[in-house]
Amino acid sequence: MNKENLKYLVKIALFVLVISFVVDKAVFLVLNKISDKVYSGQSIGKLNQYLKVKDSVDFIVYGSSRANHNIDPRVVSKNSFNIGMDGAKIAYSSVLIQLLPEHKSQTVLLHIDPNYAFNPKYDGGDIAALVSKYNRDKDIKREIDKLSKNNSLQKFFWSLSYNGKVLGILKNYLEPKDDYAKQLGYEPIMVTSMQREIFKNIIDRGDVIDVEAFCGTNYTMNDIYTKALSDIKSFCDANNKKLILFTSPKYEYPCTIVNAKFKALLEDKGLVYYDLVDFFKDDKQLKYWKDKTHLSHLGAEKLSQAMKVIIEKTN
Amino acid sequence: MVSLIANLGMLSVFKYYNFFAESFTDLMHILGWQPNDLTLNIILPVGISFYTFQTLSYTIDIYRKEFEPTKDLISFFTYIAFFPQLVAGPIERASNLLPQIEKPRVFKKTWFNEGVIQILVGLFRKIVIADTIGAYVDLVYGDVSLYNSTTIIIATFLYAFQIYYDFSGYSDIAIGTAKLLGFKFHQNFNIPYFSKSLTEFWRKWHMSLSYWLRDYLYISLGGNRKGIKITYRNLMLTMLLGGLWHGSSWNFIIWGGIHGTVLSIEKYLKATGILNKFKRVGFLGYPITFCVVLLSWVFFRAQDLHSASLAITKIFQFNLGVPYIGDLNVMASSIFVLAIGIIFDLYLFNKKIDLEELGSKFSGVKIAVIAAVIITLINLFYSSSNNFIYFQF
Repeated sequence: MNKENLKYLVKIALFVLVISFVVDKAVFLVLNKISDKVYSGQSIGKLNQYLKVKDSVDFIVYGSSRANHNIDPRVVSKNSFNIGMDGAKIAYSSVLIQLLPEHKSQTVLLHIDPNYAFNPKYDGGDIAALVSKYNRDKDIKREIDKLSKNNSLQKFFWSLSYNGKVLGILKNYLEPKDDYAKQLGYEPIMVTSMQREIFKNIIDRGDVIDVEAFCGTNYTMNDIYTKALSDIKSFCDANNKKLILFTSPKYEYPCTIVNAKFKALLEDKGLVYYDLVDFFKDDKQLKYWKDKTHLSHLGAEKLSQAMKVIIEKTN
Repeated sequence: MVSLIANLGMLSVFKYYNFFAESFTDLMHILGWQPNDLTLNIILPVGISFYTFQTLSYTIDIYRKEFEPTKDLISFFTYIAFFPQLVAGPIERASNLLPQIEKPRVFKKTWFNEGVIQILVGLFRKIVIADTIGAYVDLVYGDVSLYNSTTIIIATFLYAFQIYYDFSGYSDIAIGTAKLLGFKFHQNFNIPYFSKSLTEFWRKWHMSLSYWLRDYLYISLGGNRKGIKITYRNLMLTMLLGGLWHGSSWNFIIWGGIHGTVLSIEKYLKATGILNKFKRVGFLGYPITFCVVLLSWVFFRAQDLHSASLAITKIFQFNLGVPYIGDLNVMASSIFVLAIGIIFDLYLFNKKIDLEELGSKFSGVKIAVIAAVIITLINLFYSSSNNFIYFQF
């Protein structure tokens, strides 16, 4: 390759780097400006709403979609919030809990699932759902880096923070809703006829499950899960937070041994835990369910009432 | 002959032995016999279908005296195992690639620009469009028994674009990478869904395979030189074997059978002059061709013959209820990125531009700006990557 061609290659490579760096930062700043004004839509709006109210509320629900859709915090307290997020697990919740104000008395209701706790492959990847704040919040950045769940390119391309979120941000910016402010983060599932039909098809089909293969026989808690639980407990103990753990109902769930082992482990650690997986054992009406792990708004209403009683009892 | 037997023998053992052993066992069961399990625990070597066809073309071209055999063993093995196209093509002919390997390469700015743009467009097609769409398709085709006609039709429609952007994206990356290294491959896709007939579709879809099948199978069988009946037989055999090339399953054979049948019908309509009577409504060829291709994709995508039959039955029940959309954000993203892909393809189609040459139209600075914009779009919209669909073949 002659000198002129080499110069051309270097020139193009530099141009691509410089221009893509500038375009990336411009896009990132514009999206920051827009997304800061967004308070609807789960991935950005709900997180913004949480960051806005976390210092003032007295009751907060954390966890996955089974916390998000299954617990209506208004039933327990008018000054509350549900930051349950689809796909979130304990790593995600742990970071958010540790953003709570020091020493303010608050009740933390955390949904946990033994299937992830006993899963040796659980790697805390759910923390990546907080990536939109990676280049903006040092605590979140530190926790994501600690679990090595950042995209290594993100140090150069900051707009990766908004991967998969742009359309949602724009939609919610142009058509804002105040559902999270009104419903305090709770997202009830109004089951459509199509969803009901699909669930009925699944139940009617009556798949035979190999219980041992389905539930697994590993009863050792995953290290990352154990560390996150321990961080949450230490933070709550030190900062005047009442921590209550629970597992949400599942439809005809066969892994009773797994749940019993899990309960024993948590109680050994001095944690308050309620296993509600069989909550609908005596009332199997399909109207309470969207699918085998998510409740309809009717099921969520029943569960939230029961949760209120549990929390009052714990107090 | 030794080369043909060795190449086809390896392909047969690795790719088709278990399929034929299972089919034989099933047949024996039907006849009331209980043979032992004849299947072997074989791992399919990556890309075997592609480099076997490439090696075969070398042997056949030499046999037909269309190409001089190379005396350089390293050049030969570079031709067979050239990394940009080793695992999923395009299937390059020795007559195109070997002379390029044997000659010293020179850096060409135009090729560099073309290569960079094609690689980035390919990346966008694969990790933004195909992988985003794939999430919904995988959900529905994971268990077609759960969904109504509308849902399966939408999933099949999206799959048509998933496989197109997945495979053409891979080809773009391969062709672009080769260009950066100073090698020019043939075009492999040319906006195939803008085709008025299935014959035209096959001139634009996976062109390196369709021309391979035409030159080494269809023509070897006699092509259209031995009368109309033999032509239909040849077409059918070519497409059935083309289907089987994709995978050892009845689904791929049926997929090939559908294409063979429709290609034969097109040939008949053309030969008898019936097509000429419909020249005024020739534009209808576009949607009709697309629907035929769509129908055949059901067999290509379904997990097995049972799922494919179920999907086809459900589609033709016309239970056109409300579709299952799944995650609304995923669906919105799918539609958005698909729209970008289709608009870009329409632009290429209307301006009669080959993607392979698009980069040569821009100066160095413009290339950098376009690259930066595509990189930002990829950062904002890429979906967690699935493997390239054609890696399995």
